[in-house]
Amino acid sequence: MNIAVTEPVTGAPAGEKSDRELAREELTIARKYIGPFPVVMAVWGLGNLVCWLALWPLVMTGTLSLWIAFPLATLNVALCYLPSHEAQHSNYAKSGEPLRWLNEFIGYVSTIPLVLPFKTARITHMDHHTYTNDPERDPDYGVKAANWWQAILTGIGRRQPGQPNAYGKLLRAKAEAGDETAKRAMMEGLAQTLSFWAILTALAWSGYAIEAALLWWLPRHIGMSYISLFLSWFPHHPMNEQGRYRNTRHFHYWFGNVVSFGMEHHIVHHLHPGIPLNRNAAAYRELRPLLEKRGCRLDGV
Amino acid sequence: MIGKIVQTLGPWGPVLFGIGFLAPLIAQSMEALEIAAPFGLSFIQTGLLIGAGLGLAAKLRGRWI
Repeated sequence: MNIAVTEPVTGAPAGEKSDRELAREELTIARKYIGPFPVVMAVWGLGNLVCWLALWPLVMTGTLSLWIAFPLATLNVALCYLPSHEAQHSNYAKSGEPLRWLNEFIGYVSTIPLVLPFKTARITHMDHHTYTNDPERDPDYGVKAANWWQAILTGIGRRQPGQPNAYGKLLRAKAEAGDETAKRAMMEGLAQTLSFWAILTALAWSGYAIEAALLWWLPRHIGMSYISLFLSWFPHHPMNEQGRYRNTRHFHYWFGNVVSFGMEHHIVHHLHPGIPLNRNAAAYRELRPLLEKRGCRLDGV
Repeated sequence: MIGKIVQTLGPWGPVLFGIGFLAPLIAQSMEALEIAAPFGLSFIQTGLLIGAGLGLAAKLRGRWI
């Protein structure tokens, strides 16, 4: 396996800005986009959940066709991760701030359609940031694949019974090392997963099996593939470099930044996780000259 | 305690899924699509046979597809 760890150049040639000057400029720009409460992301998270929940009574009462609700539910599941992602980074409110409860609330409830436990997501995502592209320690490294369709197939393969679960493995290791948060995350994850299967089973045996399949079970699988492809594979491909300025890339997606859920500018997120998703594009435009100087991977630009 | 239960039931997950979810899903899909159940079986009996069978196969093979 060929992994290169690339660090920023520190010995700048005469006449060029030093590493410290570049870092200071980068931070000055980043700070402009960090701070104000990300209303867009909060409305997205809660509105998306309400929309998905509303599909159930609408379909069960015959008000809305299941065939219209199915693609809507799939969209809801695919959309539900990113607002929780902001909460994982405490971008709605830091610990001790008055709106901290809202940060945690959005984190917990927005991913209900995806059945992704918040504590698990937060712990594993922080390790992903710390060890991006490290084959042994990045919990998202399993998404590595030669091209996009192999990434989808790999993702489906990783969800088969008996396959090693990178998130579970990481939590277990932390829990065995005495990490109380990891222990709680395991319990919450177990409770949420068992609840999901219990609800699906109850719905199915109550005569709503097709509704459960097309509003939750199948949308969840499609959503997981979509999220894994656009949030993990595209921004980090080919996953063979580590280091702050090389582990994530800017890319151009054929169908635009909206279809890729704003992930074209994911490099900004890895450099400054405190910038909410809806401000990444503007921050990228301003940071771009600095990123070029840093030798970042600005593919397709 | 909870860990023991999960460790015991976990490997049987595909079979439980086959009985708990796939069986009624197959039965209700057959009914909706007006597909007759074979050998004089009811829809749910057919669903249980296919669902449990698929679940057992997934458990033994270690994969659904």
